[in-house]
Amino acid sequence: MSFKWIWTYIRPYGLIMLLGLVLVLITSGLAMVNPFMSGMIVDKVIEASQTHLLWSIIAVMVITTLVKSVGRYAYQLIFETVSQGVFKKIREDIYNKIQTLDFDFFNKNRTGDIMAKMTGDMEAVRHFIAWVIYMVFENATIFIFAVTMLFITNAPLALFMVAITPVTGFFAVRLAKEVKPTFFAIREQFSRLNTVVQENISGNRVVKAFAKEGYEIEKFERENEAYREKNVASAQVWSKFLPIIDALASSLMVAMILVGGILVINGSMSLGELVTFNGFLWALNNPMRMVGWLINDTQRFVASAEKVMGLLESEPKITPNEDAVQKDRIRGSVEFCHVGFSYGDEKVLEDISFTAEPGQTVAIIGPTGAGKSTLLNLICRFYDCTEGAIYIDGTDIRQMDLKLLRESIASAMQDVFLFSDTIEGNIAYGVPGATEEQIQWAAQMAGAHEFISTFEEGYDTIVGERGVGLSGGQKQRIALARALLKNPSILILDDTTSSVDSETEHRIHSSLKSYYRDKTTFIIAHRISSVKNADMILVLDEGRIIEQGTHDELLAQKGYYYSVFQNQFGDFDSFISKEVG
Amino acid sequence: MARNKYDVDEELDTPFNRQHMKRLLGYVQPYKKRMMMAVGLMLVSSIAGMATPYLLSVGIDVFIPQKNISGLVLLAFVLLVTLIITALCFRHRLVIMSDVGQSIIRDIRSDIFRKLQKLPFEYYDSRPHGKILVRVVNYVNSLSDLLSNGLVNMITDLFTLFVIIGYMLFLDPRLTLVSLAGLPPLVLAIFLVKGIQRKRTQAVSRKQSNLNAYIHESICGIKVTQAFAREEENFKIFRELSTEYRKTWMAYVRSIFIMWPIIENISVWAVSLVYVAGISLLGTGASVGILVAFVGYIWRFWTPIINLGNFYNALINSMAYLERIFETIDEVPKVDNLPSATEMPTIQGKVVFDNVTFSYDDGYPILKNMSFTIEKGQTVALVGPTGAGKTTVVNLLSRFYNVDSGKVLIDDVDISQVTLESLRKQMGIMLQDTFIFSGTIMDNIRYSRLDATDEEVIAAAKAVCAHEFISSLKDGYYTEVNERGTRLSVGQRQLISFARSLLADPRILILDEATSSIDTKTELALQQGLETLLKGRTSFVIAHRLSTIKNASVIFYIDRGRIIEAGTHEELMKKRGAYYNLYTAQYSFLEAV
Repeated sequence: MSFKWIWTYIRPYGLIMLLGLVLVLITSGLAMVNPFMSGMIVDKVIEASQTHLLWSIIAVMVITTLVKSVGRYAYQLIFETVSQGVFKKIREDIYNKIQTLDFDFFNKNRTGDIMAKMTGDMEAVRHFIAWVIYMVFENATIFIFAVTMLFITNAPLALFMVAITPVTGFFAVRLAKEVKPTFFAIREQFSRLNTVVQENISGNRVVKAFAKEGYEIEKFERENEAYREKNVASAQVWSKFLPIIDALASSLMVAMILVGGILVINGSMSLGELVTFNGFLWALNNPMRMVGWLINDTQRFVASAEKVMGLLESEPKITPNEDAVQKDRIRGSVEFCHVGFSYGDEKVLEDISFTAEPGQTVAIIGPTGAGKSTLLNLICRFYDCTEGAIYIDGTDIRQMDLKLLRESIASAMQDVFLFSDTIEGNIAYGVPGATEEQIQWAAQMAGAHEFISTFEEGYDTIVGERGVGLSGGQKQRIALARALLKNPSILILDDTTSSVDSETEHRIHSSLKSYYRDKTTFIIAHRISSVKNADMILVLDEGRIIEQGTHDELLAQKGYYYSVFQNQFGDFDSFISKEVG
Repeated sequence: MARNKYDVDEELDTPFNRQHMKRLLGYVQPYKKRMMMAVGLMLVSSIAGMATPYLLSVGIDVFIPQKNISGLVLLAFVLLVTLIITALCFRHRLVIMSDVGQSIIRDIRSDIFRKLQKLPFEYYDSRPHGKILVRVVNYVNSLSDLLSNGLVNMITDLFTLFVIIGYMLFLDPRLTLVSLAGLPPLVLAIFLVKGIQRKRTQAVSRKQSNLNAYIHESICGIKVTQAFAREEENFKIFRELSTEYRKTWMAYVRSIFIMWPIIENISVWAVSLVYVAGISLLGTGASVGILVAFVGYIWRFWTPIINLGNFYNALINSMAYLERIFETIDEVPKVDNLPSATEMPTIQGKVVFDNVTFSYDDGYPILKNMSFTIEKGQTVALVGPTGAGKTTVVNLLSRFYNVDSGKVLIDDVDISQVTLESLRKQMGIMLQDTFIFSGTIMDNIRYSRLDATDEEVIAAAKAVCAHEFISSLKDGYYTEVNERGTRLSVGQRQLISFARSLLADPRILILDEATSSIDTKTELALQQGLETLLKGRTSFVIAHRLSTIKNASVIFYIDRGRIIEAGTHEELMKKRGAYYNLYTAQYSFLEAV
C-alpha cells in the first residue's frame, strides 16, 4: 500500500533513481578493492619483496577511494534530490487537500494532529526516500560482494565468519521490534506535553485570572516527568541490545584472529589473506548492524505514510461540482426551501423557508445556540443542508461552482480570525491586488480607519496571530473591512459589531446603507438597533423560524421580538415623554 | 507592536557565550557524580576497545610466525575479555546518560514553565504564542542530545584520541608521526566545512520554521480562507516557501555530504604514507602486524575528530536555543509579589483608585490621574468609546499590570502590597476573550474551584442560564470541548466561562463584555439570577448594550483615560453630556420612524 503510493510519486524520477542505484552498485564494488590491496601489500610487497608493486598498489587505492567517494557523494545527492522533489510534491498536495477540506473535518481533527502529520510523518517519508532506499541497496550489495570476496579468498574462514553474522542480525531485528512501541509512547507523551503547554500559553489570561498557576504547574510537571520516563524506558530497551550487537560485531575479530591465525600457521592461508579478511570485517558487520535500524525506519515509514495517505484521501463532504452550472456572476437572490440540518443525531435547523432578493437585508435574531450561525454557514456551503434545498439565483447551490459561490459571498464571522500580517494585508486578504485607496475606503466604511491611523505604523502595523494586541471591537472592525473590500453579491455579518459601542455601530450601519443597495445582506445581531432596518427579520429559536417580518410587523405580533425590544428599549416611551415634557 | 510574521526569519546566529555555558553546566551539577561515573566507564571501554588493533599486531607479528596456537587462543581470550568489558561499560553508560540527560531536560523545562506562570499578560501579548511554545518544548528538546551523549562523548572522544596516540607511540613513534601527517589538512578541512555547515543548518531551520508557521496559520485560518475563496493565492505563497525550503535543504545536505569524501581521501593518503614509510622502515622495528595495527588506528582516529567537529557545531547551534531559554527564565516579571507582601484579607468590597496613571507604552498614557471610590456592594458600569481605557481599569484592579503612579486600594489595602494569589483568588474575572480548555464542560467550569462538587458546578451553570443548552447536548456536562473545534457558539462559550467565574465565589466580580454574544433575553434572565447570588458584592461591568448597565449603582463614562462623567443613569441623563449622547445614539434610528 504505502510502497505503491510512494512509487506514484517517485516514478517521474525513475530514470535518475536508476542511475543512483547503478552508482551504488559501482561504489559498493569499488569498496572491495582496498581491503584486497592491503592484502596484496602484505603478500606481494612485503612477504614476496616485490617493492616495485607498492606504488601501483597505492595509486590504485588512492584512485579507487577518490572515485568511490565522488560516486557516493553523487548518489547521495541524487537520492536527496529525488526525495526533496517527492517531499515537496506531497507537501503541496497535502496543503491543497487541506484547503479543500470542509468544516466538518476541522471540527473533528485538531490543529496539532494535522501539523504532526505535515511535519513528523512527512519527515519519516522523506527519510525513507532519501536514506533508507539507498542504504538498503548499499548494505545489501556490500554484504553480498564482501561475502563473495571472502569466499574467493578463503572459503573455510569465510564460512566461519558468515555463520556469526546472522546472530547479529537476529538481535538487531529484536531491537527494532522492541524499541518501536517505546518510540510511539514517546511520541504520544510528547503530544500530551505539547498540548498542556500550548493551552497554558493560550489560556494564560484565564490561568492568571483565577490564580491557578499552582495547579497548572502540577499538571505540567506530571506530563514533564512522564515524558522523561518514556524516554528513559526507551533507552532501557536499546541499552539492552546495542551492547550485545556491538560485542557480536567485535567477536568477528576474535574469530578471525583465532581461526585465521591457525589457518595461516597451517599454511592453508597467507598472511596477506588474513589482512584482507581484516579489511572486510566492516563490510560484514555494518550491514548486519544496520538491518534492525533499516527495518525500524521502514516500519516508521509505513506507519507515517498511512497517516499521510489518510489525510490525502480524506474526502470533503462538500465537493466542488464537476458539471456545475456555468455562470459569470451571482446576482444574489437567496431562497431557503424547507431547509433542515442535523449535526450527527442532533437537529440544529428544521424547516427553514424564506426568500431574499438582491438589495434586501435579512436580519436574524434569537437566543444563544438557536442555530443562527449555522443557517448562514449553509449559504456559504461550509456545511450542506441535510433536508430541503437552498437556491441562489434559482440554482440549487449544490449544483453551482463552489469557487464562484464563495467568491460571491463575503462574511465577517463572529469568531474573528486575523492572520499575523499587517493590517493592510489582513484587510486585503480576499482581494490581494487591492490598492491602498480601496483598503482605506473599506476601513473607513467599517469604522476602522480612525483607530488604525492612531497606530504609529498605521496600516503597516503587524497584528499577531488571532489579532493579539487589538481589542475585541477593533478586531471585529478589521474583519468587517476585509469583508466589505471584497464587494460581494451576498454579504454576511455574523454578530460583527457585538463588541463595538453603539455610537460607532450606528455610524457604521448608516455609512453602509448605500453599500447594501445592490447586495443581499444577512445580519445576525442581538441589538435591536442593528436589525431594525432590515427588510425582513427572522426570529430563530431551537432551529425553527418562530417569527418573520419587518420590525413593525414583529412589534405588532407582540411575540419574542417584541419582548426583546421591550428589554432593550422598554423605557423609550418614558424617555421620549421626558424629553418632550 | 512590532511582531514576527511567518515570512520573517528569526535570527538564530548567536556567538559562543561563556556565561550560558556556565549556567548550563549548573544544571549538570546535581548529576555530577553519575556523569563522572559515565565518563569513567567510557574511559575504561575506550582503553579496552582501542587495544584491538594492538592485539591484532601481536598476533600477526608474534604468535603466527612462532606458530604458537596456544598463544593465539590466549590472545583470542584477551580480546574476548576486552570485548565484554566494552559491552558492559557501554550498557551502563547508556542507562546512566539517558537518565541524566532526560533529568536535566526536565529540570530546564520545569524552570522555564514555572517562570512563564509568573510572567504577566504583557509578555504573552507581545509575541506569537507559537514562538513561546517552541521555547518550552522544542528548544529544550534540542538540547537533550547535547547534554546527555554530547557531553560524555566529547570527553571520551578527547580521551580516545590520546589513547590512540598512546598506542601508536608505543608501537612505533616514527610511524606515529607519519600517520599524524594527515591531521593538519583534516582539521583545516573540518574547520572550513563546519563553518559552512553551521550557516546552512541555521538557514534550513529558519526556512522550516517559516514554513511550519505558515502551515499552522493556514490551518487555524482555514474558515476565513475558504470564505474568501483565497486558496489559490495561499497556495502560491506556500509553494514559494516550500521551494525556498528545498533550496536551502539541498545546500545544507551538500555541505553535510562533502565531509565524508574529504575524510576518506585524506585517510587513504595517510594510510598510503604509513605503508610507504612502514615498508621502508621494515626490519628496523616495523613489521606487518604493526602496519596492520596502524591502518586500524588511523581509521579509528577520524571518528573522534569528526565527532568533536559535530559536537562543536551542535554546541554553537544550541547557543541560540540556550539564549532564548535563558532569556525567558531571566525575564523579570513586571508584576510580582513584593518581598514584604502579605495575604489579602477577605475582601469586603470597597475599591479606591487614588490618582492612578498608567501606560502600556511609555509616553502614551492610557489612564490619567484617575480617582474614584466605590463602596462595598455597589455595581459599577464603565462605558465609553473603544480604546478609552475601560478594560485597563479592571486590569489594574486585578493587578494584571502595575500602576505607573497613584494607588489602587481594596478595603483600604494597597493591592501592590499583597500577594497576587490571595488577591486574584477573591476576584471573579470574566474576560473579553473566552478560553475553553480541552476537556469536558464540567472540567472547564470547575477550573476556578477544583474542589467544587458536581452539584455546585451545575448550580453555577444554572445561575448563568447555561444548564439548559448543556443538558441538551448528548453527553451533557461530560461533553468534550476544546479551544477551537466543537460546535459551541461564541455565546455558549461565554456562558460556560461565566459559570466558571461564578463558581469561584468571588468577592469582587468583573465582567468585561461578558455577555456581548449572548442574546438579550438570556442576558436578562442571567442578570436576575446573578442579582440574588451576588447580593452585597462589588461588581464592575463593561458592556456596549446599555440596557445591560442601566441599573448600575454608578456609571462612569470614560474617555481618553479620564472619567468625564459619573453618576446613576438618571443623574447622567439629566446632565445631557456624553452619556446622554451615547444613550440617545442607540435611539437615533428610532427617531427616524
